[in-house]
Amino acid sequence: MAARDINYEQFRSIAENGQTVLVDFWAPWCSYCRRIAPAYDKIAAQYEGEILAAKVNIDEEPRLAQQEMIEVIPTLVLYRGGVAIGSIVAPESKAMIDEFIRESLGK
Amino acid sequence: MKQIYDMVIIGGGPAGYTAALYAARAGLKTVVLEKLSAGGQMAETSQIDNYPGFDEGIDGFELAEKMQQQAERFGAESEFAEVTALRLDGQVKEIDTDEGTFYGRTLVIATGANPRKLNLPGEKALIGRGVHYCAACDGMRYKGKTVAVIGGGNSAAADAMILSRIAKKVIIVHRRNTLRATKVYHEPLMNAPNVEFRWNSEAVQLLSDGKLTGVITRNVNTGEEFELPCDGIFISIGRAPATELAAGQLPLDASGYLIAGESTETAIPGVFAVGDVRTKELRQVVTAVADGAMAVHQAEKYLAKTDFGEKVTEKLAKV
Repeated sequence: MAARDINYEQFRSIAENGQTVLVDFWAPWCSYCRRIAPAYDKIAAQYEGEILAAKVNIDEEPRLAQQEMIEVIPTLVLYRGGVAIGSIVAPESKAMIDEFIRESLGK
Repeated sequence: MKQIYDMVIIGGGPAGYTAALYAARAGLKTVVLEKLSAGGQMAETSQIDNYPGFDEGIDGFELAEKMQQQAERFGAESEFAEVTALRLDGQVKEIDTDEGTFYGRTLVIATGANPRKLNLPGEKALIGRGVHYCAACDGMRYKGKTVAVIGGGNSAAADAMILSRIAKKVIIVHRRNTLRATKVYHEPLMNAPNVEFRWNSEAVQLLSDGKLTGVITRNVNTGEEFELPCDGIFISIGRAPATELAAGQLPLDASGYLIAGESTETAIPGVFAVGDVRTKELRQVVTAVADGAMAVHQAEKYLAKTDFGEKVTEKLAKV
């Protein structure tokens, strides 16, 4: 399953129901964001049922990006119960995303 | 039972996926190990105008996807795997990754090159937060701001030109007292009203408050240090081949590239080096893809004369 884009309202509702969600903040003009996308889709499939992997296009959801204090993209943020428990900027490999998820969940 | 591939390819750039295409078409069982996504450096180039066949140019990411799909059409496999160690001494090469160990009768190293880093404390943490390696990619962020370009070669000069059209001020920090870049860049940069030079200087420290706020430069002649406040720095001091995995097992040239000739053969039979990671005169997409084809040609000859009979089975029974 490919990671899907969510908007402000969907983000809020996911936060409220306490689901663990990984968000990839991206934009279409960001070349490195594109490079991450295939690995991110793989992550989405791999963690299905455990973590919801979503994407937020910061051009379309500037309010959300601002609220979450996203200054550089791509930034991946892991939320549990609406609270950010970890973030990683421009991961260099799928392995780094895996490691980031494991470490954040282990906290 | 372990899966043994005829060819394991590390790196999914143009050289790697061309090797995969030729190998799959030759009937070799082939896998490409890629840590992120196809294309390598090419994938971050939005417009490639010197790869023949695309009269309007082509986006590097798209070209990479096409190369991957083309190789996969003939049966090549792709795995998202980051390689952590190589064992090249046996007849079957062993490739450890975060997704387990892969085994190959032949190995193609297509790991490419990355921008050379300054290796200053905090540099890695500031990547994307004021530290950049590609003006064409990240320059837009510095509209009306002050940036420093570190380096004086062609790519530094080209970066400074791009940035001079976006930023308020561009300061070129260079170790020598003149640009090493070709003459074509000198005049436009010297004449640009918002470009300044800090000659005989090298960056020795990055300043930050979570984001980059400036850089300390040192005069290489006097040792005197100066603070240079800026919003971003673009490090353009060349490229470094990704040879960490092979270091100590395969000979490197003085610049750190894997030694292999036009045949792409390395010092170890059955191990080939293709694309930007190899010693070569010209590093381009067209020369990388040529390497990929050559490696498969040589690998087929190697496989034909190598006995992969009982010994291999025996060895794998122990794994």
